[in-house]
Amino acid sequence: MDSLKEQLKAQIIEALNLEEMQPSDIQNDQPLFGEGLGLDSIDALELIVLLDKQYGIKLSNPKEGKAIFQSIDSMAEYIAAHRTK
Amino acid sequence: MQSIADIVLTSETRLTDVYRTQIGDYPKFFKMDLLCRVGFVASELLLQQEGVERFVPRDNRAVVLAGRSGCIHNDRAYEATIQPDNYFPSPSLFVYTLPNIVTGEIAIRNKYLGETMYYALQEEEQLLPLIEATLSDKISSVLGGWIEAIDDEHFIAKLHIWIR
Repeated sequence: MDSLKEQLKAQIIEALNLEEMQPSDIQNDQPLFGEGLGLDSIDALELIVLLDKQYGIKLSNPKEGKAIFQSIDSMAEYIAAHRTK
Repeated sequence: MQSIADIVLTSETRLTDVYRTQIGDYPKFFKMDLLCRVGFVASELLLQQEGVERFVPRDNRAVVLAGRSGCIHNDRAYEATIQPDNYFPSPSLFVYTLPNIVTGEIAIRNKYLGETMYYALQEEEQLLPLIEATLSDKISSVLGGWIEAIDDEHFIAKLHIWIR
């Protein structure tokens, strides 16, 4: 699970062009939106694409996103349970 | 009509280096497409040269830019994400598939409330009458000029502050 979280941080930095940030700057339980990493609505859409492209996960219910994208911890947990690749 | 400040930015410029050393503190820069990065950096250097108070709302300044190639660099990047064998349309690329976004980025950064326009033109000379037509009793100055961004090695911005 730890390696998945580190991989996820690197993929998020690349997909969202967070060029000033290193994986070590993102805490596992840090909120990704709002006062955490400060991601916006376009970033949320990009994370949905990332789940599909990298892990074969299609979010059928967008409302699920709020809980899944809470933090690296919650994303990794969801990916581990639902990934198809 | 006269220009009171001008700048020419060419592809010899390393945009990220200039951002980090002379601008900074605007992380949105890293999310912009190439056209917006070129326009943003050029406008920042131009406005530093102008030397008036910045980031206060003003409704008497317009942003009028023109180019021949629009946002072709970003369009190609977006097209690469919608290939039949690799169909993952990128939302963050999609939002930059209109060239007028560069004028909006500059207006938002500087709190300009006047008109923003991007013209797709064949020749640079066609732009001047359009800038002149923008100046009015309400719009006392125009941040305007020619901007082309084909790829990282081929871009140019020639910007001015125009007044009557």
